[in-house]
Amino acid sequence: MQSREQIHDMVRDSLAELFELDPTRIKLDAHLNDDLEIDSIDAVDLIDRLKKSTGKKMTADDFRSVRTVNDLVLAIERLQAS
Amino acid sequence: MAASIQSTPVGRGDAWWARLAVTAFCFTLFGLGGLVLGLAIFPIYWLLPGGERARRERARRTLALAMRAFVWLMSSLGGISYEIHGAARFGRAGQLVIANHPTMCDVIFLLGFSRDSCSIVKHQLFRNAFTALAVSQSGYVKNEPTDAMIEHASAVLQGGQSLIVFPQGTRSRPGEAMRFHRGAAAIALRAAEFITPVFIWCTPVVLGKGQPWYRVPPRRPHFVLQVGEDLPLAPYRGERPPPVAARQLNQHLIELYEARLSAGPLH
Repeated sequence: MQSREQIHDMVRDSLAELFELDPTRIKLDAHLNDDLEIDSIDAVDLIDRLKKSTGKKMTADDFRSVRTVNDLVLAIERLQAS
Repeated sequence: MAASIQSTPVGRGDAWWARLAVTAFCFTLFGLGGLVLGLAIFPIYWLLPGGERARRERARRTLALAMRAFVWLMSSLGGISYEIHGAARFGRAGQLVIANHPTMCDVIFLLGFSRDSCSIVKHQLFRNAFTALAVSQSGYVKNEPTDAMIEHASAVLQGGQSLIVFPQGTRSRPGEAMRFHRGAAAIALRAAEFITPVFIWCTPVVLGKGQPWYRVPPRRPHFVLQVGEDLPLAPYRGERPPPVAARQLNQHLIELYEARLSAGPLH
């Protein structure tokens, strides 16, 4: 079971690598679409990557309401708890 | 001479009234044909036995035949003229066919001249009573900007079908900057063997975005469809992460289309 902080680190590393982003831009309140230009077309690749990093099964439905990096961290935390 | 110039109102040359009549006739027939296919043929097909693949091929063959008949009718009655180069290279396994989208006729040409190809089509067609059976029996992919669409389209390509996509999503308006939705590039990188670009010119533009059918252009519209060289995808794979590679590929495709479309058809 990872702490929220560890999940945030993992999410930041994944996003930085997958989208070649500067990690300092990946703040908790950053909006995926508006600030980081990650859209629904990227969802498949992002979910593939998160599945590998967490070892958990997940589908796009688990992330329907995700808008910010923080939403993403909370969604993964919920998945890991379940 | 002056009299004959006056007798032809500006912008209505090239047998304009005849072409208006042909267009009206063809449109009526197209509507009736759609009605017969949607309310009689496809419901009968639906009742006939057969596996998924047999049903799909039957549906696609029927649609292609109807589209070819329409193109033949429009051109033999003089409503349009056209040339298509390289149509034999449609319908290969794992092929992603992309095309620009200047007019409503593009879909008719591509579906008519490609054998047994899948296509990504407007999601509204799956809910329209006249078209729902045709598009679902043909196994077409419903266009939505979602991961489900990307995965469905990828499965189609990996299953060895050829897939047709209009990356502009909707018909373009003349003079507008070229914009491609990245979905096509993302699908290509995930699942296609190669991309086959099709370049379409229509001068003057007929049935463009926001152009009603009765606004028949002053000259007979001429369509040129050229099937371009296959684009290998290996250069985009492996080097950079897929979302970044998809953006690069999309940009490359836009530049390719801008250059080819402004240069005009190759002779």
